[in-house]
Amino acid sequence: MNEQRKDVLDMLAEDKITAEEAERLLLALERDQPPAASCLELRPKGRAKYLRLEMEFLEDGESGRLNLRVPLQLLRAGVQLVALIPPRALDRANAELVKAGVPIDLTHLKPAQLEALVEHLDETIVEMEAPDGHLRVFCE
Amino acid sequence: MMPQLVTVRVKRPDHRALRIWVPVLPVALVLSPLVVLAVLGAAVACLVFSISLVRALGTGRRIVSALPDTRVDVDYRRTAVLVSIQ
Repeated sequence: MNEQRKDVLDMLAEDKITAEEAERLLLALERDQPPAASCLELRPKGRAKYLRLEMEFLEDGESGRLNLRVPLQLLRAGVQLVALIPPRALDRANAELVKAGVPIDLTHLKPAQLEALVEHLDETIVEMEAPDGHLRVFCE
Repeated sequence: MMPQLVTVRVKRPDHRALRIWVPVLPVALVLSPLVVLAVLGAAVACLVFSISLVRALGTGRRIVSALPDTRVDVDYRRTAVLVSIQ
């Protein structure tokens, strides 16, 4: 979080400004900034090693931050767990998913497919902006 | 590569910080009887649920060896927690 943005959030937390004023100030700050260099441009060239999740949020006037770095190798190892799920458990999970209105057949999930998905994650960038925080998921 | 060191840092609202370094190998050696029990429990569970024990152990080893470089950093309400695995 840059310093100006933090100042605005601090003022909001201390009730020095209203939420509407804070939103206007944050929007003005965003306008003043040069177009944000995307994470892809900032990322050094080469194969991505980590999945990063950065989240900043404001809750009850208090700011919070979550910064997570997970090696992609760990995700690749994790997808192998799919092969270890007992068929009985998959059937029960399928039934619950159907009940919840998400008719996904988990028995069709293959570790190889999930690994291919992880392989292509390094091109993925998810950015979400909201008045009370933002979320960014990317690989580096 | 197996994890060597786990670092836990907790910063409290009164700005006092607690930092703990946990060397994984000595702790694993001390807890080795429990590790053996856990592996035996996992073996029984694999037999009960018809899962290949070799595959399960291999997956477990891959997950543990992929843990280094994992980092979780949470900062909320003037409390900060950092967990780093090296």
